Amino acid sequence: MDQECCWNRDVIEQGDCPNVDENEEDLLVSKRQRNLEKCCECPRFLNELQRLYDEGNPLAPVLAGFLVEYRRQKTQIQSLVSFLDNKTLEIRFLHELGYVLQSSVDLDEVLSVALTAITAGKGFGMNRAFLLLCDRDEGVLKGYLGLGPRNMEEASRVWNEILQSDMDLQTLAQNFRLNKLSSERAKFHDVLELLTVPLSNKDHIVIKALDGKRPIMVENAFQHPDVPPELANLLGVDTFLLMPLISRNRQVGMIVADNCITHRAITEEDMHSLETFGFPVAFAIERASLYDKLQVELNRVTEAGKKLKEQQELIVRMENMALVGRITSSIAHSVRNPLMIIGGFARSMLKSSPASDPKRTFMESIVAETRHLEGVLDEILNYSDSLYPTRDFWDVNQLVETALRDSADMLTSLGYAIRYMPGHALPPVYIDFKQLSYCLRTVLQNDINGNGTDRTIAIHSRSDENCVILRIEDRSRLISQEELDRLLVPFSETSDLGAGLGLALCKTMLQKQGIPFDAQSDLNDGIRYNITLPTLKEEQP
Amino acid sequence: MIRLLVVDDEANIRLLYTEELKDEGYEVVTAASSAEAVEKLQGSTFDLAVLDIKLKNESGIELLQKLVKERHNMPVVLCSAFSCYKDDFSAWLADGYVVKSGDLTELKHEIARVLAKKAQKGKAGEK
Repeated sequence: MDQECCWNRDVIEQGDCPNVDENEEDLLVSKRQRNLEKCCECPRFLNELQRLYDEGNPLAPVLAGFLVEYRRQKTQIQSLVSFLDNKTLEIRFLHELGYVLQSSVDLDEVLSVALTAITAGKGFGMNRAFLLLCDRDEGVLKGYLGLGPRNMEEASRVWNEILQSDMDLQTLAQNFRLNKLSSERAKFHDVLELLTVPLSNKDHIVIKALDGKRPIMVENAFQHPDVPPELANLLGVDTFLLMPLISRNRQVGMIVADNCITHRAITEEDMHSLETFGFPVAFAIERASLYDKLQVELNRVTEAGKKLKEQQELIVRMENMALVGRITSSIAHSVRNPLMIIGGFARSMLKSSPASDPKRTFMESIVAETRHLEGVLDEILNYSDSLYPTRDFWDVNQLVETALRDSADMLTSLGYAIRYMPGHALPPVYIDFKQLSYCLRTVLQNDINGNGTDRTIAIHSRSDENCVILRIEDRSRLISQEELDRLLVPFSETSDLGAGLGLALCKTMLQKQGIPFDAQSDLNDGIRYNITLPTLKEEQP
Repeated sequence: MIRLLVVDDEANIRLLYTEELKDEGYEVVTAASSAEAVEKLQGSTFDLAVLDIKLKNESGIELLQKLVKERHNMPVVLCSAFSCYKDDFSAWLADGYVVKSGDLTELKHEIARVLAKKAQKGKAGEK
């Protein structure tokens, strides 16, 4: 044997064997391990074996046979180890992906994770991916999101960034969703538009993959009979992968992936890995979509619940108001009749008593007080009415004419001139007729006993946007704005019950109907009232 | 003499109306309920009826509808403790409406106005 070869030595020194590296010190003291790991490949050992063979040693051919078989098995084991390592990485990645997908119910987040996983180097490493989603309402498979570089320059920049940042899948996906989702959507907008395929187009390769529920590796795309030329031109690649997303036998969407930049061949193994990945993605997408729908329904139910609660409160309030109304009516009836009888008989007696009767003063007091109490009663009843307005569409002219008819005799007897100038083609207004006619009467009769010399009341009506404006100008009553404002406040110093609550009540009634009431006074020009009557039902509160 | 039918469930109000309206030169017949009013209407004719809207457990509006249907020549003036009926459709069938008050001037004025209107209509019909 050649003394230079160390195969037969129990212990060797560093440098005795050229195949043993510095970090393999354990091999220096283990002959068996060294023989298995290094000698089989060592040319000096093979030379020794050759020499034995040449010397006619019968063990030499047997040993050579063992050696060949050992090397074959070693290669096979190494290949299997490599395969297992890859699979371990893939399982780890799928585990990470599954965890990320499982923890999200946001559709955009799920899609970001899915496309990042397909295109990230630590994932499936495809250059570009598009996600299409089934839209059952429109009957199409619709391009929804794309991810990947458009050209080599962009690819180098992006991949370099990713490589340097060394982010895990979840961080990558979050980063994409926050910073790139909208820009990628915009970047691939044209492609996504064209990637929309009707589900009824059964000859289209994409629909075939979807219906077949199996991935399709498309090669020779430009010559492929099932690939429409516009799709091949759109993608601009000869080879791409179609991976249907199926969840519980339901078609969810499709992933179209390719290597448009590197043109690396897509292998069968890539396809199988992506197929494994497709199921959790499809499931997550479906779950996120259902969650979205659930959220919409939940919002609807919440909104309905809110409305129901409002309605309940309204009903309770209305019941309370109706009760108040009934009680008030009952009191009114009970009080008004005795008041009328007292006042009526007092008047009757006053009429027939001689002027010298000392008891006339008492009777006059009874008459005055009953009149005052009747006024109080009117205002309480009117306030009770104002609590529940009943609105409908009414003609403005009819409203004004009714109020004028009720007040005309009184106004003309006091020397007032009333001019009504109706607007042209006025639309119906949405109001409580009773309350509005009461308000108009009150405004008109409030003007009686004005202190100005010009006893003219002018009423104008005109149509405006979604409303009719009623303007009442009274030049007879000359009061300051402060005095008028006080008249509009219920129970202020100038508005005792039964003596001037009318205007304040009008304002309250109109406010309850959401009708703006504006009153402006000028010591020289009198008072101008503007009442804005809505013409739309929706304008009501 | 002009004959008026006054329908009100309050005896004192009937008395007050009778006294005051007699002073105005009318012949006044009173009724305390719808049934009594119908009974009196069957026996004779009236130029005008004054109706209260609330008649104990009855509705004066129902009596009004009946009168308008069966006695369309006899005008009706509603007299009520409730001012809200003034703008109520159901009350619009009446020829006049007044809110009850110790001061009967408005009622007397309304009765005179409605009777004048009726007389005017009658004259127009004769022509």
